[in-house]
Amino acid sequence: MTDAAAGAHRPDGARSVGPDRAVPRRALRLSVPALVAARLAGAVFVLWAVATITFFAVRLIPGDPAEAILGGPGSQTSPEALAAVRAQYGLDQPVLVQYLAQLGRLATGDFGRSYALRQDVAPLLVGQLGGTLLLATLALVVAWFFALLLATWSTRGDRLARRIGSGLEIVAAALPHFWLATALIVLFSVWLGWLPPISTSGPAGLVLPVLTLAIPLAGFLGQIMRESLLTALESPFVLSARARGEGERGVRWIHALRHASLPAISLSGWAFGSLISGAVVVETIFARPGLGRTMLNAVTVRDVPVVIGVVMIVAAGYILMTVATDLAQWIADPRLRRR
Amino acid sequence: MRSPVHSRSAALGAVLAAGLLLTSCAASPDAVDSTTPVKGGTLTYASGDAEPTCLDPHVGGNYPQALISTQYLESLVSRDSNGTIIPWLAKSWTESPDGLSWEFTLKDGVTFTDGTPLNAAAVQANIAHLQDPETGSSTGYLALAKVAGTEAVSANVVRVTLSEPDSALLESLTQPWLAIESPAGLARGVEENCAAPVGTGPFMVESWVKQDSVVLVRNPDYTSPPADADHTGPAYLAKIVWRFIPDSASRFAALQAGDVDVIDNAQPDTIVQAEKGDSIRHLDAPRPGASNRIELNSSKAPFNDPLVREAFIRSANVDDAVASLFQGTATRSYSALSSVEAAGISRPDLFGYDAQAAETLLDSAGWTARDSAGYRVKDGARLTVEFPVSTNQSIPAEQSLFEQIQATAKKTGFDVVLTPMDLSSWYTALGENAYDAVSAPYTKVGPDVLRILFDSAGIVPAPSGYFANHAQVNDPKVDTLLTEATAVTDAAKRASLYSQAQNRVLEGFYILPLYDQQNHYLLRSDVTGARAMPTVSTPTFYDAWLPAE
Repeated sequence: MTDAAAGAHRPDGARSVGPDRAVPRRALRLSVPALVAARLAGAVFVLWAVATITFFAVRLIPGDPAEAILGGPGSQTSPEALAAVRAQYGLDQPVLVQYLAQLGRLATGDFGRSYALRQDVAPLLVGQLGGTLLLATLALVVAWFFALLLATWSTRGDRLARRIGSGLEIVAAALPHFWLATALIVLFSVWLGWLPPISTSGPAGLVLPVLTLAIPLAGFLGQIMRESLLTALESPFVLSARARGEGERGVRWIHALRHASLPAISLSGWAFGSLISGAVVVETIFARPGLGRTMLNAVTVRDVPVVIGVVMIVAAGYILMTVATDLAQWIADPRLRRR
Repeated sequence: MRSPVHSRSAALGAVLAAGLLLTSCAASPDAVDSTTPVKGGTLTYASGDAEPTCLDPHVGGNYPQALISTQYLESLVSRDSNGTIIPWLAKSWTESPDGLSWEFTLKDGVTFTDGTPLNAAAVQANIAHLQDPETGSSTGYLALAKVAGTEAVSANVVRVTLSEPDSALLESLTQPWLAIESPAGLARGVEENCAAPVGTGPFMVESWVKQDSVVLVRNPDYTSPPADADHTGPAYLAKIVWRFIPDSASRFAALQAGDVDVIDNAQPDTIVQAEKGDSIRHLDAPRPGASNRIELNSSKAPFNDPLVREAFIRSANVDDAVASLFQGTATRSYSALSSVEAAGISRPDLFGYDAQAAETLLDSAGWTARDSAGYRVKDGARLTVEFPVSTNQSIPAEQSLFEQIQATAKKTGFDVVLTPMDLSSWYTALGENAYDAVSAPYTKVGPDVLRILFDSAGIVPAPSGYFANHAQVNDPKVDTLLTEATAVTDAAKRASLYSQAQNRVLEGFYILPLYDQQNHYLLRSDVTGARAMPTVSTPTFYDAWLPAE
């Protein structure tokens, strides 16, 4: 893993499509331990920045967590209860003191305690993580499947297929999650009665949420993939493969597609982040437990420790995904391995 | 979140309606010939309310907690559909002549589901728990504000002494927020008790998967139904799965698909769709206490002038907007109180739409000029009405209603600024007195809610923040009437005092009543015997049963 790591999370992905580039000298001079250390320091910085921005973003919007914790429809908060809650969570301290306390806890790996849910944030989020990870991973896999299918089908040379493919991708990519979710519910639950509109214990309840997340993402990935597939099919190496007598299937699936998947791979790191934000909508509509729904509830009641916890987990996941996409690119792109 | 969800329901309403037609043809209800209740079965309930953070309604005390705790906790007394207080855990009670002491005699042989007996000491422990600041009780704490102490007269008789007479005590005690829990359960500490409170109710909390569901199972030894229940002995249902489905369209789709049996927070469009078929039944159970109303902040300009308040009320075309937006699911109210409160008085004469009268009123109040945008101005200031809207409390149809009021009031020259806010921001805006109009629900059993909403003691008790007298009515006459009403137990005299206080508030144009606090349940038609409690209109499934599989 070398310089590719630094730029892999850019969603443009154009970098890898072009002709072979010279390897940057900077990367060559750094030793492997130094690279790892730089990478780690970068990760810590990102996590600190994320925690800080989140803390102030949540605390500076109007709203008193104590009111939100105790209040709600049909209730009136008593001054005594408010005072007790404020003292319990240190909400009566100056914001800067609260920030430093929060940071201090995070530094020691303590995510703190949820104001509203009355439990420690770490076990709470671990419990919610599984559902969201499953959803995001399945959505990513399904999106890749759709994108591959569409990209290979629509680049067979037929103009009409190309147009249809491009049209489908643009429409899919533009679909808002909340609209798509309702449309799928109406179609598959209300009309056809095939699938439950809410999460169930079995796998059937996963189908609609996964499709809701996967379809727009497949549109994005498909667009990128189709364009780079077309570029690759016109490249000299495809010509030479054909000249060697490689069949059309081999040319497309082994040579061109491998080349064309590189930008989509680097886009997958970004896609993971977008899936998590999509999970907020999808988990709420389909009543699935998960990080997205936890996040939405926590923001509503200004539950700072939970919001920071979710954001930190997502940021950490994002960093890991970036590393993973680097690795995947390294495997798919022999030019990176030669260094 | 508001506008996507809102536009979504509008855009897809037609599609959903078509879907309902299909399903209602396909799934015509199995004829339920038998009227003999079937034992067993699992009922799935889907709540659109927020998931409670604590299942013990002593802690905090809001409506989502009341909804679920009605299934496993019980109160000392209840209220029947005529408004009469009836026995529940207490079989009888007496009030001392000075109104300062009440004695409750408890039912015999009742035990909590952990085996602890229900006795005078248990009731004492519950009142102490509610009054302990460590518990963090709001609703229950305020309801017991006048309770000075308790004592066990005998094992089965508990005496409650008051610092001053409280004609609302029995009504307060009917509420789920003042339910009686096992003292042994309470002694486990807030955390453990929040996860699984122990009561005497027909069901017990078995498990709680956060953000998913609470599983309730039948209490096999149940003996203590309220006096208006249909049967005695344990509940028919074996189990209730209590789910949280925040999205209205998903909730309704799940009900149509049969994945859930009952939903709450049904919206006007889904109610109308449901009523077209016969596979779903509608249960309209308005909440007690206050009506839904717009409160006009009389503490500052422009609404410190009664003429301007009346002009605003006359300029708002509420009737047409309610008819079109709620599609017949809500009835216009002209009262400060819910229609379930017998003490409520209705004054249709005060709240009619009359744009001409509104113009004249503004002219005589000195708002004679108009600026280039057509809004009234006085001394260089525009006639602006800041209206923060809580998107957590006002349903989409209500938010649209406010927009319609904004549009009709504009013709008269009011610049109504609607600001959608989440709950926290909304509380802050209220606490900072940064509003001219606001709409806040208030649920409480009995007319004593008037004291909370209109007594001058309810005006901004800084620094605590929250207060309930949003109209900031500061009228000594109203205060006196409400204080007197609290002290008399003679029903006729009490009703007369409350009626005078209401007239004074309504004639002062402090509030614009809209409709009852909407509370609609939709049930699959094979659910038999479910009803809403006449206390705070939460559903009870004690008498409910499902056909055998």
